[in-house]
Amino acid sequence: MTELRIAAVGDIHLGEDVRGQYRKSLDGIGDRADILMVAGDLTRHGTLEEGRVVADELRDLPIPVVAVLGNHDYHSDMQHEIASELRDAGVIVLNDDSAVIECDGTRLGVVGGKGFGGGFAGKCASEFGERETKNFVRHTRLIAESWQHALKEIDADRRVVLSHYSPIKETLEGEPLEIYPFLGSYLLAEAVDTAGADLILHGHAHRGTEKGMTSGGIRVRNVALPVLGAAYAVYCLADE
Amino acid sequence: MEAPQYVAARVQAALAEDRRTHELGIRVDVRGDQLFLRGQVSGAEQRERLGEVAREAAPDLHVHNEINVVEVGRPGEVEHLD
Repeated sequence: MTELRIAAVGDIHLGEDVRGQYRKSLDGIGDRADILMVAGDLTRHGTLEEGRVVADELRDLPIPVVAVLGNHDYHSDMQHEIASELRDAGVIVLNDDSAVIECDGTRLGVVGGKGFGGGFAGKCASEFGERETKNFVRHTRLIAESWQHALKEIDADRRVVLSHYSPIKETLEGEPLEIYPFLGSYLLAEAVDTAGADLILHGHAHRGTEKGMTSGGIRVRNVALPVLGAAYAVYCLADE
Repeated sequence: MEAPQYVAARVQAALAEDRRTHELGIRVDVRGDQLFLRGQVSGAEQRERLGEVAREAAPDLHVHNEINVVEVGRPGEVEHLD
């Protein structure tokens, strides 16, 4: 039985002053993993200059690279330009859509995007009241619907969801409870549980916990770099 | 005199919003005339910039910059999901 080896990390927050450093830590990744997934917050301020540093760090790796953007990457309203730079460097950038990547004979489907917040079942915002609140929650709901649709449509042997925001609270443990609604939303987990997937990867919560699970039993991993304390983690999915 | 909680909140907002830093995950504590910064960042320069922004936001306090720089030289453990 062969395994699909997924290297994953989020929140690398690169800038010109650390150019070249992260790349060094990716030496030998082709021997350890079949694909690298990057769970957003690639930059600090979301500038195009930082986006170019990230593109250079991820360029020409021996394995495919799939990424989503995070909230930091949106800060300067240059998210489309950053995504273009990454795509020019060969990175597959997901924006609430999907990609199927052939990995050693296995068709790996990856669905994802930035995700968004709102909180967790029973303690969350709803589409009620001020326009600003309704827009906030609606943004998350539309994202969740896109992911559910993409997961149902995708034709693949294994399915992984790549997000920046968290779909569950378990992987936020360590963060202050008061900020949970800004760290993720249960709507993301509900969508993935409905459509099914093998694994969900996210970042965003630097002080969170690596391992968790959705209500439907799908494994969730918080791969924020400060949580991992390493350049990336590797998760192996057994071949079906 | 401004309550220490408001000073800490103002410094935390400065660290998040100042274009030199934009760092969201830094803990700020004020005890008397001492201000403590704790958290993790990806480079030594970012740590120094955070100290600088905090000093500017709270010029009357003595800033202790206890932020760690995360070393990311090695890959982490391999987990088999079965």
